[in-house]
Amino acid sequence: MTNRMTRLRTRVWWAQIKAVIRLEMRKTFFAKRGLWIYLVALLPVLLFMAYAMANSHRQSQSASVARRGEKALAYQDLLAVKPDMTREEVVAILGKPPVNFHWREDRREDRAGNRNADANSTVAIVHEDYHYSDGQNDLFVGLADGKVERVNIREGVNAGQDSIMFAGVFQFFFLRLAIFFGCLGIFMNLFRGEILDRSLHFYFLAPIRREVLMTGKFLAGLLATCTIFVTSELLQTIAFLWHFPPSVRDVYLYHNHGLEHAAVYVGVTVLACVGYGAFFLVAGMLFRNPILPAAAILIWEAINPFLPAVLKQFSVIYYLKSLCPVDIPTPPGTSAFLSLLISNSDPVSAPLAVLGIMIVALIALYASSVQVRRMEINYTTE
Amino acid sequence: MKDRIVFEDVSKFYGEILGVNRVNLSIPPGITSLVGPNGSGKTTLMNLMTGLVRPTRGRIQVLDYKTDDPENLFRIVGYSTQFDAFPKGLTGFQFLYSYLRLSGRDSQSAEQMAWRAIERVNLVDAARRSVAAYSKGMRQRIRLAQALAHDPKVLVLDEPLNGLDPLARSEMIALFRATAQQGCYVIISSHILHEVDVISDQVILLSNGYVVAEGQIQTVRGEIQEHPTQILVRCTRPRELAAKMLQDEHTLEITIHKDEKGLLLKTRDADGFYLALNELAVNGSRIEIESIAPADDDVLSVYEYLIGSEEVVR
Repeated sequence: MTNRMTRLRTRVWWAQIKAVIRLEMRKTFFAKRGLWIYLVALLPVLLFMAYAMANSHRQSQSASVARRGEKALAYQDLLAVKPDMTREEVVAILGKPPVNFHWREDRREDRAGNRNADANSTVAIVHEDYHYSDGQNDLFVGLADGKVERVNIREGVNAGQDSIMFAGVFQFFFLRLAIFFGCLGIFMNLFRGEILDRSLHFYFLAPIRREVLMTGKFLAGLLATCTIFVTSELLQTIAFLWHFPPSVRDVYLYHNHGLEHAAVYVGVTVLACVGYGAFFLVAGMLFRNPILPAAAILIWEAINPFLPAVLKQFSVIYYLKSLCPVDIPTPPGTSAFLSLLISNSDPVSAPLAVLGIMIVALIALYASSVQVRRMEINYTTE
Repeated sequence: MKDRIVFEDVSKFYGEILGVNRVNLSIPPGITSLVGPNGSGKTTLMNLMTGLVRPTRGRIQVLDYKTDDPENLFRIVGYSTQFDAFPKGLTGFQFLYSYLRLSGRDSQSAEQMAWRAIERVNLVDAARRSVAAYSKGMRQRIRLAQALAHDPKVLVLDEPLNGLDPLARSEMIALFRATAQQGCYVIISSHILHEVDVISDQVILLSNGYVVAEGQIQTVRGEIQEHPTQILVRCTRPRELAAKMLQDEHTLEITIHKDEKGLLLKTRDADGFYLALNELAVNGSRIEIESIAPADDDVLSVYEYLIGSEEVVR
């Protein structure tokens, strides 16, 4: 009998949660005040699309240069050119340049041979710029008076380098700003928005446990944020891979863990929505002004690398960083302060990181459930 | 099973502002009206009764349930609030349907119950329109429909007749009566005293957060000692009757009616007066009495005696 009652009760709760989700989804997805969340989510997609378009354009240019070249070049040929080589040596290795520019420079020269000293004595220097390509990578050679002065190789598609760029955008924009503020906009409004609209009583007049209502709202927020940000994440991946030649794309996806990384990024996105969502749900109940808790949580997350180990655990970014599949290398010469921000000096294992986020989220949700039970309808004080 | 709505020493403070203080009530089935000026605590009392606000002190029990148990409480309680805001983008039907789905009902029964409630408040034609486009009266009706939709045992209605036209008012009053006759508890707050007077089985008079009187209106009137009872007698020879009644020590004042077919008498002993009048009739007086009726045992008089005439809509 008790089991039957429990099952019946659970069924009613689940029906109620679904009813809350249906009501909330309508508001969350189609609210005018939530439009900016779509824009924030779309921003990295636009960034990668622009990058892919620029790269595609560059690749077609490279292919065109390669076609016009005297010889069919390989990447190794491009690397063979070194400073101080003569024009003839360069042409011997790479053939006549398919694209070249030249111009004259009049440099002043003093009597002792120092240039730029006397307006009356000038020396004419002939500059030449050669552009070679193997179809994907470009070589820019700068010659002065027939000698190689500058060598610049621009690599066409470097999946490894690009994946680090992707990781940078993901960690420093998508996670810390887009998802963070997107969750703020959606989860803080789940209760606060309705208090401001003076329509929260609609829920409080129904025979529904406040905890069930809170769970329904949280799941609705989670569904909305996950839909928006996972879609964005997938679009980013598509845009990121768009300009890769099929062979490079296949190698990256199937042999260099590209597919695995994409799946992990989706997982991290979902976990970020869970963690930040839980944080902002309770903040929306405790604070009238969203700016204060948002600023506090943002600062807390930002100073996470500098916190003692015990305090680090009470943050979302600490676990998310540990789960990110690509480490961002610290460029040489970076200050210790910046290095600490970029690198994850104290990572935890993936299962522990997932567990950590879940525990942090559950603590926040428990605080929400306590708060929701205490909530009163008193719009006049808002 | 408990059969009353009980407030035990209930106080509610909003910070330092008093909502209600030391309220003790035991509300039986039937129509109970909460009467009092603005800020007297009517809405606070209703919000306390429905758990929308929590008491600072004291205990509230609605039949079998405590007010901090909304899951069970709102299975027997329907509350039509004064809050004039609705979830955005819903039609009248969707508003009720969503409410019933929130209650855990399946789609089919929620739809049936929603339409039944819509029919009860005569809003069928507008049910498919957005609530945002409703007039004030229509919004009032859809709130009433929400309160009625799940056939609650306890109906709490905060100013339910506001914004309704006279026809709709009489329809709603009939609806409240029918609900009360089924053994339900109908708690109504209203400023409109003559309507309260017509529909109430008992009243609760509130002033500045305190309950100043409660019970059946005649009983309450009887307990107000400082104001003499007024009795209107329609009769022949009113001056003769006045002369006789003035001999009674409890009679304070007699006014002859303008049409000379009756008199208004003020007495401190209504029972004594009725006895004296009976004796008069028995002793073969030439005075023919057509009717005797108390003139100030209505809500309006009681309200004026206890609270004053501020903000009363007669």
